[in-house]
Amino acid sequence: MIKRLLAAGALVLGLSAFAQTQIEFWTYYLSPNFDNYIKSTIADFEKANPTIKVKWVDKQDTMERDLTASIALGKAPDVVNLWQDSTFAGAQNGILLPITQVVSRSVLDQLYYPNVLDIFNVEGQVYGLPWYGWLDQGVMMYNPDLFAKAGVDVKSIKNTDDLLAASEKIKKATGAYGWLPAVKDPNGASFLGRFFLEGLSIYDKDGKANFNSPAHVALLQKYVDAMKNDVIPQELLRKEAFQLSNELYSQGKSAIIVGAPTSLNRVKESNPDLYKKTKIASAPLGKAGIQTGGAMDLVIPKASKNQAAAARFALFVTNRTNQVKFANVVPIVSTAKGSESDPGLKAKSDDPLEVGKGMNSSSGRLINPGFKPPKNTDDIYKNFNDNIEAAFLGKKSAKQALDDAVAFWNANAK
Amino acid sequence: MRRQAWTTSLIAYAFLAPALVLMGLFTFYPVIYGAYLGFTEYTAANLGSGEPPRWVGLENFAQVLRDPLFQTGIWNSLKYLVVVPILQIASLAVAVLVNQKLPFMAFFRAGYYIPVITSISLAAVMWEWIFQKDGFLNWSLRLLGFFNQGGQFNWLLNERTALWVIMLVTFWRGFGYYMVLYLAGLQGIPGELEEAATLDGASAWQRFWKIIVPLMRPTILLCSLLSTIAAIRVLEEILVFTGGTGGPLNSTYTALLYVYNKSLGLDFNYGVASAAGLLIALVGFGLSYLNFRINREGGER
Repeated sequence: MIKRLLAAGALVLGLSAFAQTQIEFWTYYLSPNFDNYIKSTIADFEKANPTIKVKWVDKQDTMERDLTASIALGKAPDVVNLWQDSTFAGAQNGILLPITQVVSRSVLDQLYYPNVLDIFNVEGQVYGLPWYGWLDQGVMMYNPDLFAKAGVDVKSIKNTDDLLAASEKIKKATGAYGWLPAVKDPNGASFLGRFFLEGLSIYDKDGKANFNSPAHVALLQKYVDAMKNDVIPQELLRKEAFQLSNELYSQGKSAIIVGAPTSLNRVKESNPDLYKKTKIASAPLGKAGIQTGGAMDLVIPKASKNQAAAARFALFVTNRTNQVKFANVVPIVSTAKGSESDPGLKAKSDDPLEVGKGMNSSSGRLINPGFKPPKNTDDIYKNFNDNIEAAFLGKKSAKQALDDAVAFWNANAK
Repeated sequence: MRRQAWTTSLIAYAFLAPALVLMGLFTFYPVIYGAYLGFTEYTAANLGSGEPPRWVGLENFAQVLRDPLFQTGIWNSLKYLVVVPILQIASLAVAVLVNQKLPFMAFFRAGYYIPVITSISLAAVMWEWIFQKDGFLNWSLRLLGFFNQGGQFNWLLNERTALWVIMLVTFWRGFGYYMVLYLAGLQGIPGELEEAATLDGASAWQRFWKIIVPLMRPTILLCSLLSTIAAIRVLEEILVFTGGTGGPLNSTYTALLYVYNKSLGLDFNYGVASAAGLLIALVGFGLSYLNFRINREGGER
């Protein structure tokens, strides 16, 4: 009798163990800063889905290499945190699962902002569930002392032209830089973004590049001149604008940061007095009047062995409740539909970070995905950046640089 | 007797076996497979479709050789070789100096070795501060009256200086390492030789070139080889100082950076990357051969 009971018990245990699915979840640079948030989200998920166990791995620098290696070894992770460029490359090479094979399109439309879903739309198919987002312009954070010294009124800054003009004034009066625009960040093709923000086209409807009109040339020339006159620092050719803005602002060597309010976390650490003084205004936009931005997404590799469980988990992590919770840990932009009126995203005090966060986290509907990267992205962007750099260093005229970049693009975007 | 020799070699092989197996698994197999990939089409798309590498013969090599970026890379890597003779002569000379029995010598030896154990990212922060527009290098040059404030520039943002100042960092990092190797070599030179030369009236300069350099030839060969191979494969310094772009204007784009960029991301092309890697290895072989030739010729004299 006892023997039989034991056997039955063992059988039940064995079955439940059998019903357990383990999925592997890869994030990008989230540990150790957000360990608590990710772990508690996973715990909530496992409580609601007792048959699924989630193994969390945080990847950093080597993320893409590790992903290709583990797929080649037959040990693909199930849910992976990618972003637009990598999702495109992965989708075009057939590594990723079109997400509509596991979640219906109408459900996607109900859960996420359409503009954000569009970021991960590769040739008509959505490949990723939108996760946390950001706005490139975000908000404008400024040093009121430097503004006062230069006689610049913050209300006079409405667009990017005003920003450049104010920067020139600040530089002349105080020796500090004003705004540090991204012109040639090491990753991506920053200046294409500048064109887009000013309402200039990147390519025509057939995908042929056309960013060499007189208007494009004039815009590039304006920034080239600004660098020549040291209104914007030459270091922007070597360092990420975001990185440099943070460094110089904290040292009082620049007056403006335009971007996500998260930047203030670093100012708070390195210069608490300046942090307290810092004022926030809405970000000046380009002539197109749009806020560009992007979002992280969660993708499922084709090689995943637990696609259904993976989809269930990815939906859970990216749902509104969990994105709003995340936004309260760090000021990300929630990409879940309805976030603009979510009470969880209202500012709780008039601390600069709180105000910025309130303005920022609930504006996912404003994220403009910009333009789609071309095929053969790496080579084309490399060539584009080389040409932009040549223009800034005076090796090519603005016109010549853009003509060359357009010619290369049209010859190499297969 | 014969039987005994046979057992001896059997035992020798038995002792060698673990190392050989590990080498085979982790060195020879990857090298051979990597070389094979150079003759195939193997990109991220293969991973997606699960197709194995497809043999394409010399196609990748033709593509790599035609690519102006690779040509720039090879040319910059060859330029980088300038660092080799300077580095070797300087570290040998200083090794001779710190080989003296004088007070505080241990301090100097340790001091010269510190850059070797300093991490490159840490070193980069320091050197960037030296090379920037308002940096230490410009400041010192201005004090010496070389140029006025208006003439200052960031050394890493000038396409005529960037590669050379990065080379200076390689020099700084390698210096202590080769110095220690030379020090070890110097311990093997009998003191009587130098003493005898001194008694015969040879100057310090003559003793260095006539006694130390010829006797140190094997060590010099070893160090030059190591240094040449390191120079042709330079990558770390470029990655930290240019954010992996090889700028400004590709003036610091080295051959290995080409390989690195081609094998990275979800758009990788291992075929092309391996072909480029093989070509660099070929250049490395050629240079090593040259090293042996130069040193052997010198030895016969």
